[in-house]
Amino acid sequence: MFTEPASNMPTKSIGVRLTNEGMFNNPGFVSRTIPEVMFGFNKNLMMHAQGFLSDMDGKYRLEGGSLYAKYRFLSLDEAHSHFRAAAFGRVSTSRRPTFTRDINLEGDNSGAQGGLIFTQLLHKLAISATLGYAHAFNDSDKQITGMPNPNNMFSYSLSSGYLVLPFVYKDYKEPNFNLYFEMLGKTDPSTGESYLDLAPAVQVILNSRTRIDLGYRFQATGNMANRYTKNMYLLRAEFNFFNALK
Amino acid sequence: MLFFAVNVSAQQISTADLQVTGLTCSMCSNATQKSLETLGFINSVKPDLNKNIFVLTFKKGADINIDLIRKKVQDAGFSVGGLTADFTFNQVKVDEKGQAIVDGNVYRFVNAKNKTLNGTVKASVVDKNFISGSAFKKQSATVNSDAYANGTAVVNGKKTRVYHLVLS
Repeated sequence: MFTEPASNMPTKSIGVRLTNEGMFNNPGFVSRTIPEVMFGFNKNLMMHAQGFLSDMDGKYRLEGGSLYAKYRFLSLDEAHSHFRAAAFGRVSTSRRPTFTRDINLEGDNSGAQGGLIFTQLLHKLAISATLGYAHAFNDSDKQITGMPNPNNMFSYSLSSGYLVLPFVYKDYKEPNFNLYFEMLGKTDPSTGESYLDLAPAVQVILNSRTRIDLGYRFQATGNMANRYTKNMYLLRAEFNFFNALK
Repeated sequence: MLFFAVNVSAQQISTADLQVTGLTCSMCSNATQKSLETLGFINSVKPDLNKNIFVLTFKKGADINIDLIRKKVQDAGFSVGGLTADFTFNQVKVDEKGQAIVDGNVYRFVNAKNKTLNGTVKASVVDKNFISGSAFKKQSATVNSDAYANGTAVVNGKKTRVYHLVLS
């Protein structure tokens, strides 16, 4: 839920997401709102476009945007199971000045990222591993004297999701209830500073097309100063429109 | 070999059981069903959300393209694990190599030779991407057809799609 699986959206479908992230570790509570549109171009390629708005630097304002593309290059399907692998890339902009070496390409930093995702589905359990490398673009116009200048960041995560209900399906109308547990890590290759977050989450799928996510990430261990996404909730609604593109 | 005119359907598939693989949840099944329902020759799709089997019925007289059925499953993001259909054959002659040409469709029967098929016949498609990768590898060892590896052969001078069927 804080990460993407290797699986893709159905071809020619459109997804719309609205995400709200609330951060408790700043002095005072701040939040970010992320509208997002997702397109499934073919069975292997999908793209997302996001906008970022937050009150992290004062009043709520538009901070920037991001384009994300995922290409599934391997899919081995069996009954109720699959192994998939995908490559992803992201490019983002943000007008925020930097106050930490942590790189968050969903609102806090301009930059680019690439990586790999591997997902194994085994009946009701899905496990995904993600490896990524990000580079922050530095804009000296925004730089505040004395504040850190982020450069690169290595990211790694392990996500597990389990279909708890229904135990046996009756029809498409039954809500699905999934439980997630994710481990989200980062390491700064220049300083060696790292952190590892744990993120439990719940997910409800309604009418087999609408998804509601609620998760909370907190730092289990780490020494990276002043990072934002520590102690953060994520609340998201996702609506899927099948066969929406021509 | 006599070719039947296109509007006299000597071959119809009345219903088919489609096994889909690579998924568990109902939203994935929903995506697959919505993808299949864009096919003009499909009449109805009835899902078993636990077994991931979709029972398909077809519009009378419509040209049924089983490769498009497979494509729609793959477009949704999944794979075909099996496709078993009820064929209605009208005095279809299967030759000594197991081949029959019906309405321009070339079928090679893995387990039938030198017979005439008449009436409703249940058969499974065992071509690549209609069964799992491991099942296809196993089947490749036993199927005696030069068309099995890539699904095409030169028939009557033309490169033609060949479907390999196993009679139930």
